[in-house]
Amino acid sequence: MIAMDESNISFFKDGCRLDGRKADQLRPLKIEVGVLARADGSCYIEMGGNKVIAAVYGPREVHPRHLQEVTRAIVRYRYNMASFSVEERKRPGPDRRSYELSKVSREALEPVILTSYFPRSVIDVFVEVLQADAGTRTAGINAASVALADAGIPMKSLISSCAAGKVADTIVLDPMKEEDNFGQADLPVAMTPNGDITLLQMDGGLSPAELHEAVEMAMNGCRQIYELQRKSLVDKYSQLESLSQVPEQEAEACD
Amino acid sequence: MTNVISEIRKDYLYNLVLKGSRGDARKFDEYREISIERDVIRKAEGSARVKLGLSQVLVGVKMQPGEPFPDSPNRGVIITNAELVPLASPTFEPGPPNEVGIELARVVDRGVRESKAVDLEALCIVPGKQVWIIFIDVHILDDCGNILDASSLGAIAALLSTKVPASKFGLGEDYQLPIRDIPIATTAIEFSDVLMFDPDVDEESIANTKLTVISTADGNICGMQKSGKGTLKPEQVYRIVDIACERAKEIREKFLEV
Amino acid sequence: MDRKVVIPGDLLSEDAKRSGEGTFVKDGQVYSLLYGLANYRDKINVIPLAGKYVPAPGDNVIGVVKDITFSNWIVDINSPYDGLLHISEYPKRIESDEMSKYLRIGTSVMTRVKDVDPTMKVELTLNDRKLGMIKTGQVIEISHTRVPRLIGKGGSMISMLKKELNCNIFVGQNGRIWINGSADDMDLALKTVLLIEKEAHTNGLTDRIVEFLKKEKEARS
Repeated sequence: MIAMDESNISFFKDGCRLDGRKADQLRPLKIEVGVLARADGSCYIEMGGNKVIAAVYGPREVHPRHLQEVTRAIVRYRYNMASFSVEERKRPGPDRRSYELSKVSREALEPVILTSYFPRSVIDVFVEVLQADAGTRTAGINAASVALADAGIPMKSLISSCAAGKVADTIVLDPMKEEDNFGQADLPVAMTPNGDITLLQMDGGLSPAELHEAVEMAMNGCRQIYELQRKSLVDKYSQLESLSQVPEQEAEACD
Repeated sequence: MTNVISEIRKDYLYNLVLKGSRGDARKFDEYREISIERDVIRKAEGSARVKLGLSQVLVGVKMQPGEPFPDSPNRGVIITNAELVPLASPTFEPGPPNEVGIELARVVDRGVRESKAVDLEALCIVPGKQVWIIFIDVHILDDCGNILDASSLGAIAALLSTKVPASKFGLGEDYQLPIRDIPIATTAIEFSDVLMFDPDVDEESIANTKLTVISTADGNICGMQKSGKGTLKPEQVYRIVDIACERAKEIREKFLEV
Repeated sequence: MDRKVVIPGDLLSEDAKRSGEGTFVKDGQVYSLLYGLANYRDKINVIPLAGKYVPAPGDNVIGVVKDITFSNWIVDINSPYDGLLHISEYPKRIESDEMSKYLRIGTSVMTRVKDVDPTMKVELTLNDRKLGMIKTGQVIEISHTRVPRLIGKGGSMISMLKKELNCNIFVGQNGRIWINGSADDMDLALKTVLLIEKEAHTNGLTDRIVEFLKKEKEARS
């Protein structure tokens, strides 16, 4: 990653970032639960310019069979970008980047999934990036975690994920595309609500003190995201409840 | 992986058909509710999200300059691709497109191409050297039946919202992609001599035969595709075509008049 | 009854002894394992809003034959695990080569889980007069998490339904429900079961269903 000294100034204006955020502020976040009919669980998330949808199928039979594990469910995670999700059209299908992201994302979720409840089965998590704007893996993990809960998968907790970055020698939360492209460091984190870290990656350059600040900032972002994940699930239930009240109200109106 | 459909379920659907009814109480030639949202993907030059009943597809259009085919040096290029991602159905598997996905992409492509909806000659930048390439990417999100009609609708809706990104490539100002026709695909299945339009997943699984008819704004046919291992009688074909054109006209007028 | 919607990881109690179904204990405290409704009684149980059916011995289930091997019918039971119905579990003695004559692929059967081993090999049986092949009526599928509401406390809901609806009803713990009766009765039964599924998590359900049936019947007569 190249530090572009002459562009440093343009990352901040009057103490605010290009999109008007403070250094420790998340982008606007929107989470919807149960958006797909076929999937066992699903979630749609918008994190700034990212639009990501996650679906969970399973636990279900494992194909091919030799992947089965006798004592637990296996978890598969497929991160995929739609061809039109990025500026330059991406060739469809997996590449080296998506394989790596799938692996680390799966490992970010596995610590909380009670796989021993479902021997010889598979829990499939599919994440489709419909529009990318830096931070797609964190958006994917956030959506996947909610979709797992929506599918009724037993878990010790949700997982929340967020990145911190360094631009113009400043640590910032949840970098957007411009900050990611021309920033000095990127550090995605995923964690449990207790603060156990389940994903940690970093590229760029940070001093130990900056690293410390970035991790703390990203974890703070995760805590905020967790509150919205939680709310989206609770809201879905209230919606169900209010829907099912309708016939009753109608019945009363008829009387 | 395939859906197990029990005989008792088949019997149930069969009995419904005999009574002149369908699982969701629609008429045989009735479509499920349609909604189209355009310009949903900012990174694409054009996009549309289509809901057909519970089925959902997202179509993105990207454009970039490239070389023309040697046999058509003055014409732009359309490349249509469909991703039946495993997110959309328990029966879809990861991997390169299979024959179902490729057939879907090709039929969507056929509608756009044969209706001449896009004026390919207008997409020539430097004859023989540089033309606009249009990528139509169909992303299936939720397969609750008849994703072909939904995809086809998504493709034309996305094209209608497409802006040619000329400025990005130093080729002048951006402009709206001119669209000259609105092809609409309508699909019917045949089941026990009954023709049912816009099949849901259950209906697709019991049907032997499916016929897709793509018609243009002037009421002509610009593409067809019969699929499935069953047969159709000519009278059935003509009847499907008649209804297909009617439904297409309604859909066009309701959602897509330019 | 105190009920509350919870998500995985929610703290439910400081008292480890109250840990019930759908919960786990960590450092002496009880947490939810599931997204669902926490039911606070002596024990705290979390009833999931979704999830797959996991077979347990003694469960009645409705399956669909999906394959036939030398001595087993392989039965889809709406679960991550297929059921195996051994030829010897058929109520009468038959030979291996006649298996498909008795239960073909696509046939629905009312069956019972006989045994489940730790690797989730699921054995089924037809050895009970209540069990057998389904030839008439309809099978509908609801989420297995709603089945307890359909049965009701001590079977109260289901006996009321059988009586009021004039239908035979067999409830599979796997969420598949067989209904048999006259066409009109089946239609109403179908509607009622779907209504129970939709409103499974609300209070005062039985009263509402009774009311619903009364109205529907008045409308019909």
